[in-house]
Amino acid sequence: MSGRSSGSSSPVAPYLQVAPLAIVMIAMVGIPLATVVLLSFWESDGISIYPAFTLANYREVLTSPVTLSLFLKTLQYAAITLVCTALIGFTCSYFLVFHVRDLKWQIGLFLLCTIPFWTSNIIRMVSWIPFLGREGLFNGFLVQMGLTSAPLDVLLYSDFAVILTYVHLYTLFMIVPVFNSMAKIDPNLVEAARDAGARPWQILCYVIIPLTKTGLALGTIFVVTLVMGDFFVVRVMSGGQSASVVSAMKNEIDQLYYPQASAMAVLLIMVVLLMVSAVLRIVDIRSELAR
Amino acid sequence: MAHASTRRGPAFYFLAAFFALFVAFLYGPMLIIFLLSFQGTSGGLTFPMRGVSTHWFVDLWSSSRYGDLGGAFSRSVILGVLSMLITAACCLFAGLAFRRKFWGAGPLFYLSIVSLVVPGILLGLGISQFFQLLGFQLHWWLSALGAHLSWTLPFGLLIMFAVLNRFDSSWEEAARDAGARPAQILAYITVPILFPGLIAVALFGFTLSYDEYPRSLLTVGGLNTLPIEISNMTTNVTTPALYAIGTVTSAISFLVIAIAFIAIAIIQKNRARARGEKA
Amino acid sequence: MTDQSRIDIRKVTKLYGGVRAVNEVDLTIDGGAYCCMIGPSGCGKTTLLRMIAGHEIPSSGAIAIGGEDVTALRTGDRGTALMFQNYALFPHLSLTDNVAFSLRVRGQGADQRRAAARAMLERVQLRHLADRVPSELSGGQQQRVALARALITNPKVLLLDEPLSALDEFLRLRMRVELKRLQSDLGITFVHVTHTQPEAIALADQVVVMDHGLIEQAASPRQVYGRPHSPYVARFMGGQNVLAGKIEKVTGAVAVIAAPDGTRYDLIDASGLVAGAPVKFSVRRDRIALSDAATAARNAAHGKIVNIEYQGTFVKVSLDTGRGEEFIVYMDDDEYLAAPKEVGQVVYATWKPELNHFLRGTNDSAGTPHE
Repeated sequence: MSGRSSGSSSPVAPYLQVAPLAIVMIAMVGIPLATVVLLSFWESDGISIYPAFTLANYREVLTSPVTLSLFLKTLQYAAITLVCTALIGFTCSYFLVFHVRDLKWQIGLFLLCTIPFWTSNIIRMVSWIPFLGREGLFNGFLVQMGLTSAPLDVLLYSDFAVILTYVHLYTLFMIVPVFNSMAKIDPNLVEAARDAGARPWQILCYVIIPLTKTGLALGTIFVVTLVMGDFFVVRVMSGGQSASVVSAMKNEIDQLYYPQASAMAVLLIMVVLLMVSAVLRIVDIRSELAR
Repeated sequence: MAHASTRRGPAFYFLAAFFALFVAFLYGPMLIIFLLSFQGTSGGLTFPMRGVSTHWFVDLWSSSRYGDLGGAFSRSVILGVLSMLITAACCLFAGLAFRRKFWGAGPLFYLSIVSLVVPGILLGLGISQFFQLLGFQLHWWLSALGAHLSWTLPFGLLIMFAVLNRFDSSWEEAARDAGARPAQILAYITVPILFPGLIAVALFGFTLSYDEYPRSLLTVGGLNTLPIEISNMTTNVTTPALYAIGTVTSAISFLVIAIAFIAIAIIQKNRARARGEKA
Repeated sequence: MTDQSRIDIRKVTKLYGGVRAVNEVDLTIDGGAYCCMIGPSGCGKTTLLRMIAGHEIPSSGAIAIGGEDVTALRTGDRGTALMFQNYALFPHLSLTDNVAFSLRVRGQGADQRRAAARAMLERVQLRHLADRVPSELSGGQQQRVALARALITNPKVLLLDEPLSALDEFLRLRMRVELKRLQSDLGITFVHVTHTQPEAIALADQVVVMDHGLIEQAASPRQVYGRPHSPYVARFMGGQNVLAGKIEKVTGAVAVIAAPDGTRYDLIDASGLVAGAPVKFSVRRDRIALSDAATAARNAAHGKIVNIEYQGTFVKVSLDTGRGEEFIVYMDDDEYLAAPKEVGQVVYATWKPELNHFLRGTNDSAGTPHE
């Protein structure tokens, strides 16, 4: 008889309690997003923007061959980053949950993985520069070992650097949910599987991975949306040679082409929400939160 | 791992090495820039170190080349503290509200999730244009604060859900049964029991705001926050001063994290003190 | 004290959406009585308890304590104290502060309330643990703290929501004794919700059997156990076989009933019945004689043994009489050992006609206590 709501507290109480959050979310998320949609129908001349109802911005975005290549590039970044973060995140969580037996060590090492989350992304990105640069540590090491005759240029200011930075910044977003799902697996299940004669890889495929699905899905949503929403890493770490949807959008914003940027933004939000809802279709994330 | 009591297989050592590599990958580059920020006066952006000095920290402080770092820093700290307080308060009450069914709960939850997945710069564009349409000026303490909250509140709410999972509402009923009024229940029971969780929410509120960049960019108005100043420095500054500011801001983050962790640890320890006495 | 702690429940209904959790209940619990409310889960007993406590507000009807209408009064102001099923001890407070909590919210000073709390802890023999936190205690100790916390305000009524269900069997029996002793020491009304029949019968002055939001029977344990009101109460409380038949003829207060298989039964207390009406009646399982050969044609049953269970002081023999419901006989163990039975064997049961108890109530549900 637990889950019953208490009869003696007022029915308006939840509305009062949730009001501050609701007001901020509506004013700072709901209305601004509606504004972006509204702007996408306006006109601009590079100096100012004018209220109108035109589909020209969408026509421009949708017919431009640049749009398609931007989206493909962005999805490519997202896909490679996702594969890397998922592999690293799963392996690290697996190690923490099933190989570190002492709870204190488990929590300590987990926190070690999450602490960078609370520090500046910009600084963490910048910190790759002295490592990857022409005179950087890694090139110095390669030359010294005689593996290359001249320093490699592709390490910094390249797609490699962009993806490396993404993986560095966003693996946490995979580790945390995957670790959470995995930590909830009853150790008896693994015992029972072993008892039934399952080999280690069978336990992994038939027991652990299916039970970690929600965590992987949650991590996927985080990583994909973070990569697709980024403009700063791609701009700095590619040295201006590559562009993503949002970095192109940022250029339009800098040139005050707000309506065009908005049209691109609406398109991007639709793609992102489509992908998120596709993931949500496969797994029920609210039930994961409720556990 | 001295605590190992049973024999480890080769899988353990392989995975442990992988994990260690990952940790090195996570922290290595940061350690490099911490080291390089103590570069000698004549040193450059990469190794070798030409002497050890605090020259670049002093340079940050004294030189006018790097813009208004002091002002940006204080604005970021103020924003961080405001976001922290507002996030903790809003998420506490919203979390309590979400335990019951109410009209609009679903849409509000999804709006929060949308706020997490939408590109930050785009939300910044929306907020700035919304202000413009209303004829309001952009201010770091208003529009940028709002932008920061659109990022910290959904995170705080998700953490609050997790925290409340372990909160038994019969504690509140027992307090009411003892004659406590709603304010007394909140002050004597709900908040004290949830306090470690609230510290975690506050930690997110501060650090996410303090380091926020994409949402701030278009919403700060005339005066920048620290991450924006730093991002400008990444393209303009070619001296180890860039690393020095990185070291300073990371040190502050680590300090805040340490304070939060220690506070949580002290509370947990106090609650378990009897256990220690018995042992 | 007695009248001050009397509880009057008048036409109380509680609706959850369209569901009537409690349906127009009328009940008087005498001041100073130990009342046990029993029924399967979802029968409304906990809701009724929570309405007395003020944690739920009745959709309609009135509740009075000591003659004063408390229906709309805030919990905490009505002289009741509720002891929660999981005890709901505050995890962040010491035992002293847990017990002193009611005094704290009433604005009493720290020294005064802590002294009172320690005195109360003394009373439940936990004074030596006063500075511990609840997570350090065993289940039985936690329960005593919960009792102390509930009693610190000198309530007129103590409400207990399944207070013993979290304890192991041994502790449960011990705490049962302590509860009863405490109640007679304090002389206040205890209302105790349980789903365990022996607990209700052992503790209560008044047993309230509920089903589907209705009170089926509210009476002394002896009445409820020995003279159940309806087939449901007979089955739920156990100890009875329920039989069915049609009235053949009525002579004064005595009726003759014919079962579907033709067996005749004499019903002593049958006033108001007319011939032809279907009736249900019950027979105590421990008052039945079993024999291997047919003995009497009236007030009897026979069938194949489907199960035999040794219970220590008696042996439980289950028969399939072909009437749908199992017919159970509790045999004295000496008597059973003198003439042991076997599963599959056909046996004959007989009893005295005055043991047939007419079940006036119409609630015919199975009464299996679904946990």
